Amino acid sequence: MSNQTKASLSISPVLSVAKDEWRYWFRSKLAMSVLLIGVLLTLSSVVVTGINMIELAHERAAMQNSSEDTFMDQPDRHPHRMVHYGHYAFRTPAPLSMLDPGVDAYTGNSIFLEGHRQNSAMFAEQKQSTGLTKMGNLSPAFILQVLAPLMLILIGYSAITRERESQTLAFLLAQGTSMFTLLTGKGLALFSIVILIMLPVAIAGLFAIVQGESTLVVLYFLFTYTLYLLTWTLAILLCSTLLAKNSESFTALSFIWILLCIAMPRIASTSASVVVPVAGKLETDFAVLADLRKLGDGHNANDPAFNKLKQSLFDKYEVDKVEDLPINFRGAVASASEEELSKVLNRFAEKRMEEELAQTETARLFGWLSPQIAVRSLSMLTAGSSIETHHRFLRETETLRLDFVQALNKTHIEQLNYIDDINRNNGEEGWAKARVSAENWKIIEGFKFTTDSPAVRIERGFSSLIQLLFWSVMLALLLSLASKNLARRASF
Amino acid sequence: MVAFTKHIAREWRFMLRQRYVLILLVCAFILSSFAVFTGVSEVSSQRQTIERLKLADETDRLEAQAKYDDPGSLAYYTFHLSYSEPSNLAFAALGERDTYPWKHRIRMLALEGQIYESDAQNAELAQAGKIDFTFVIAALSPLLLILLFHDLSANERTSGRHDLLVTTAKMKIHLWGARIVVRLLAVFLCLLLPFYVAAFISDTAWSSIALVSLWCFAYFIFWTLISVYVGRKSSSAPRVASALIAIWVLFVFILPILGDLAIKQAVHSPKGGDILMVQREAVNAAWDLPVETTMDAFVAKHPKYANYKKEHEGFNWGWYYAFQQVGDQTAANLSQAYADASQRKYDFAAYVAMLSPPMLLQRKMTRLANSDAIAAFQYEKEIRSFHAELREFYYPWLFLENDFDKAVLSDLPNFNNNENQHKKQNKVDTNER
Repeated sequence: MSNQTKASLSISPVLSVAKDEWRYWFRSKLAMSVLLIGVLLTLSSVVVTGINMIELAHERAAMQNSSEDTFMDQPDRHPHRMVHYGHYAFRTPAPLSMLDPGVDAYTGNSIFLEGHRQNSAMFAEQKQSTGLTKMGNLSPAFILQVLAPLMLILIGYSAITRERESQTLAFLLAQGTSMFTLLTGKGLALFSIVILIMLPVAIAGLFAIVQGESTLVVLYFLFTYTLYLLTWTLAILLCSTLLAKNSESFTALSFIWILLCIAMPRIASTSASVVVPVAGKLETDFAVLADLRKLGDGHNANDPAFNKLKQSLFDKYEVDKVEDLPINFRGAVASASEEELSKVLNRFAEKRMEEELAQTETARLFGWLSPQIAVRSLSMLTAGSSIETHHRFLRETETLRLDFVQALNKTHIEQLNYIDDINRNNGEEGWAKARVSAENWKIIEGFKFTTDSPAVRIERGFSSLIQLLFWSVMLALLLSLASKNLARRASF
Repeated sequence: MVAFTKHIAREWRFMLRQRYVLILLVCAFILSSFAVFTGVSEVSSQRQTIERLKLADETDRLEAQAKYDDPGSLAYYTFHLSYSEPSNLAFAALGERDTYPWKHRIRMLALEGQIYESDAQNAELAQAGKIDFTFVIAALSPLLLILLFHDLSANERTSGRHDLLVTTAKMKIHLWGARIVVRLLAVFLCLLLPFYVAAFISDTAWSSIALVSLWCFAYFIFWTLISVYVGRKSSSAPRVASALIAIWVLFVFILPILGDLAIKQAVHSPKGGDILMVQREAVNAAWDLPVETTMDAFVAKHPKYANYKKEHEGFNWGWYYAFQQVGDQTAANLSQAYADASQRKYDFAAYVAMLSPPMLLQRKMTRLANSDAIAAFQYEKEIRSFHAELREFYYPWLFLENDFDKAVLSDLPNFNNNENQHKKQNKVDTNER
């Protein structure tokens, strides 16, 4: 800062403060190595995660297609056999998940769809992990949320304290540089580091646009991270202004970082799971089973639970024997019972998802206590890699499941003769007769899971955005108070 | 020695007057207490869940057993609970129990279709990770120690007291040694007191408590030595702390992440989905195959039932369960390869952990608490052997005997019965590692 006086008058004083800060960093081995490591780390995480997610997207799309083809290639069969043969659905990741994969590795990505059952998504990648990424992972989101603030601290902790320790602050103020100019200049210098760190992320953002993500969402995504890092810039300036010594500022800032970025996120999820416990699927399944038993077994057309259905069909077609019905009664039973069963299953599934969402939202409330939590939620919600998106995947696959099962049941009702059907177990001939043409398997429509619309995603993240804005505004206010206070004390 | 105790007493009083040290210690105590308290509550809720499940499972099974009389339907409609109970140390190391399932209900159908069902917890919370005692020690305690020890000499240097102190103190060790001992002791107490209380409540084995104490102590010494060593000559406390935090980032994040990438590249695993596909194709195809094809494949692995009773027309349960089993047999190689890959990945991670003390500590703790991936693999094996016991129980009635008497259901294998035997096995495993 000693060469402040040499600054030419033509450039604004703020820029000259920023320039001097950069000059100081260039001479500091620490600042330069942190900056270099920071940019390299972000760059490599963007590349590695990007490649990984694009591969996953292709892989899952390919598996989706092959699953559909296998289904349609099945030979002539009894339609109910196809209900049990089942179908697969895969969750393709959102384009922005190459910046924030979110829950992708923690939930299963494929789901087996079959009659009479709602399976859970299976084979979460985390289950085949080395256990080494329990503390942190290489995703750009993690780097930006946790490591970038640390880099900013390492580079900027002494912004003001340095001037105080070397007695240059009073000198600067006496010369007419206002505290505001000084802070703005130093802030601008730190912000340029933020821009440097964000650069590789922005490039990946462009790539996401190419992949079909909306430009608005990508800009918003980049904006929220910039705002988050700006919040840290403010916090760094604040500590540096409040405290007298470099070492104090450093200790205070690293302590705050440990609390907000390392401890708080885990405290949030632990608290949420203690405060809002969610019963496991296994446990709610008992209640489901109890309800299902009341419905009767759809495989057994003689189950008394279906007497009402039988009577209404008799009335409709004016017959008094199932054999005389123009439709296959067993198919009608299968279809009716699937309908009822899905209602029960969905009721419980919805309840479970609601509970899980309530639990997640409780954890998100901790964004008021740590900006890291605010930006983490906001990032996942914007990218479309949060629990909400997974829930929608579960809902959509359930629709897909019910559709194909009911389409098969319709075939069962309309195309398979009742007498052939009940004689299916009577030797080879009966077995061969009780089937329908493979043409009927063409009911499978291509399933492609897409991200929520930009409006929905941005709206979901609204409260997290408010939290983040709260942090930045609060810190800006505190900084302005602290700077006035310091200016009063430092000037003679 | 007396002189040293005097130094200790002086340093203790000195420490209590330093506000910033006190704040750090209080925070450490609060964090550790929170982690331990929530750990105890998590473990107790897991235990309660298991108790509730056992009860519901029993009721449900009895209901199903009352409804059906033939062995085929009984095997089809009765589910069986299996679970892996948290150990008495699990409160301190919740480990992988939020990613791997620890409870299942299975029946006698093809197991490959059932075993990967997971009753996982909230994915978004699992992604953020939970705080437990192991995390507090492995990840947070080094930071605490860095903040406490990095400025031992730098602080005195900058305030100009360094040379004076060094010349007045008879031996360097008295001055720095006493200060180090006092702070280390304070950290140890603040972090481990909550653990001891919870361990006492949870009935944790003395050997485990002693082992955990030893590991923690060694770990603290390690970080203290690094902190003091890096800071020994520098006069700039922030520079020392920056270097130390960089080392921490390297150990906690960078090395494990690089190791993870390398292992993922090195170990190839079949896709989980493929196991299911193969198994499904085999089971579904069986409906259209001649009964003999399935039975031959079945008998090849189960020669005891070579003389199975032949039923000519229509559906028969023996054939049905045989093709379920043949489905498993078809997928067995894939499934084994999948399990092996998981195991290999976890084993390779041990080498990475050698380079990263925090990872090493975490692995040691979760192994001792039996809450790591190995415990999850072991549980999967237990389910497989339980499924085999179930099949062994029903097979004679399905393939050989004719007069099924429902009274034999009282001999139905129960996952619970195996518990003691499995516990012993786990102990052997722990000792080996």
